[in-house]
Amino acid sequence: MAEKKTIQRRDFLKFLALGTVAAGGLRIVHRSSASEKGGSSPYKWVMVIDQDKCTGCGHCTLACRAHNDVSPDISWNRVLEAGKVGDRQVFLPRPCMHCEEAPCVHACMVGASVQRADGIVMMDYDKCIGCRYCEVACPYGARAFNWEAFEGPNPAVPEWGSPEVERRPRGVVEKCSFCYQRIDRGLKLGLKPGVDEDATPACVVACPMGARKFGDLNDPESEVSQLIKNNPYFRLREDLGTNPRVYYLPAREEGNA
Amino acid sequence: MIKLKRFTIQPLHLWIGFLLLVLAAGFTAYGIVLVKGLSVTNLSDVVPWGLWITIDLSAIALSAGAFTLCAVVYLVGLKQYEPVARTATFIGLIGYTMAMFTLLLDIGRPDRFWHALVYWNTHSLLWEVSMCLTLYLCVLALETAPIIGRTEWMQTRFPWIANKMTTVHHFAPILAIFGLGLSMLHQSSLGATYGTLQARPIWYKPGLSFMFMFSAILGGPALTVLITKLSGRLTPSAKVDDSLLDKITLFIGWGLVAYMYYRFWDVFSVTYTYEPGRSESLGMLTSGPLAFNFLVGEMLLGALIPAILLLVPRFRKSWTAQVIALTLVVGGVVAFRWDVNMSGLLIILTYLPQEITAVYTTYFPSVIEILSGLGVVAYGALAITIGVRYLNIIDHQRVKEEMVEKPIVVAATD
Repeated sequence: MAEKKTIQRRDFLKFLALGTVAAGGLRIVHRSSASEKGGSSPYKWVMVIDQDKCTGCGHCTLACRAHNDVSPDISWNRVLEAGKVGDRQVFLPRPCMHCEEAPCVHACMVGASVQRADGIVMMDYDKCIGCRYCEVACPYGARAFNWEAFEGPNPAVPEWGSPEVERRPRGVVEKCSFCYQRIDRGLKLGLKPGVDEDATPACVVACPMGARKFGDLNDPESEVSQLIKNNPYFRLREDLGTNPRVYYLPAREEGNA
Repeated sequence: MIKLKRFTIQPLHLWIGFLLLVLAAGFTAYGIVLVKGLSVTNLSDVVPWGLWITIDLSAIALSAGAFTLCAVVYLVGLKQYEPVARTATFIGLIGYTMAMFTLLLDIGRPDRFWHALVYWNTHSLLWEVSMCLTLYLCVLALETAPIIGRTEWMQTRFPWIANKMTTVHHFAPILAIFGLGLSMLHQSSLGATYGTLQARPIWYKPGLSFMFMFSAILGGPALTVLITKLSGRLTPSAKVDDSLLDKITLFIGWGLVAYMYYRFWDVFSVTYTYEPGRSESLGMLTSGPLAFNFLVGEMLLGALIPAILLLVPRFRKSWTAQVIALTLVVGGVVAFRWDVNMSGLLIILTYLPQEITAVYTTYFPSVIEILSGLGVVAYGALAITIGVRYLNIIDHQRVKEEMVEKPIVVAATD
């Protein structure tokens, strides 16, 4: 009887050791948790959209498609009709909100949706497995899945600009990135995002009405900071506590459009 | 021992032939999805999850017999249910592989399935679920190892491996602890996968975790007992002790009563406050496109009628009534998963200021989705059929004897 017990204990220890090795192995391949914001940044990028000025022309959508090489089936930046003020049709352009508490970042199981220190919610297209949980989680419908491969020429190119980022493969989710490539490149060249066109998101540059403004909310002198300080504004679904970084200046009866 | 007999077509062959046909169709559809991508589905950016996720969730829920019965046997100490737990474990292993096959189909990049294990986002409910699924699949494989190890084929061909596989049986209590922990985590986390999303008001409540767990504890054993009872009548390979199963069906019957009570509050208490989207989703369940599925499929057929059949003594005595009841319970669990998924997705909440309204959308799976889904189900049915016929997974006589003699044998050999 005693002998039998020893064997069982030894076997039990073997079993435990095996389990520990397995858990350890998983731990080694584990990189980092996506929701832990890495590093720090002096910037806090926000977008301000003036509904008074927006005429719903859709130039922003097209410029976005060209600069980010987005398929015609997908809009990173949709322009929606949003009721009327007086007789005037009001529009609501909707990029990604780059929420401070982004539901997609928490949802993504592989950490393919990550928040940069400057607030931009980024997609790692090499990590994404296409489970679409982020799409289900996003309250703003800002995400689009590549149901089909986008092949052939981009109809928005070259009229609305030329691609600055790699085209996404079939089977991953994509979304607006605040044109991070323009911001990052611009900063390296000593340009100021929101002021210098080459360092500003393509939709902001393309807007013929000047309805979109972009800049650093940490800089009290920036145009966006001033606009938010001096105007009534709202953000979408603030009740959810996502804390979006896209601010809207509502259309008013005595609008200046 | 193995004699060549003149081949005559038996019902088993017809059944396997039928399953192989469905499997072939499913395999073709599966291939089409892998080659052409998810554009062959009726899923969209608005309804990104559909039939496959329902099959996936149902397969996991209906595999819950494994951890429930193993916990009953090895942790609660009701040893007499050991043979039933053995059946449930095998069904669980097949169910979890079914879930894996469906998930592989559902993700846009099946070639990156391993990312789920390598890249961690510990905040994500799906991360937690995929970790638990993988670990629990290992537990199930270990728990099933003795079943394979005890087959005559393994014993004669690979006696050493067979012996090792049989030895795993000694860790059954430890495996039961791991199994219980992992299962409680991911069964409820699958509910929380939905329940933590603010974007979908009908889901956004802690109750879903509980409901997923509870329905799995009823549905899992129900499927195990159903398969056992059917096999007992259909094949001499299954040796069934009906008195053993009666306690389990009684548990399921009373469980259903409690389940109806909880589901009532789970669904109807959401109207305490009006929140855009939530009441509309409820409306879909009670009078909209999901009403038939919810009221008839899930509540009447899936819970009320089987509860009556399993609890009223007059019906309990009847084998047929029990089998019908258990089938209905299994169907009810599937209907519940479908209702949860669809009630959240078929309502789109607009985010326009001052007019946050609910917009309705529709979804019906495409032929490819249905065929590939059926293929996965056929695989499960085939694997269980083979298990029942050739692996002796249902044997309420033999295992009882082994329970007594096996430890002595191991002590002597080592």
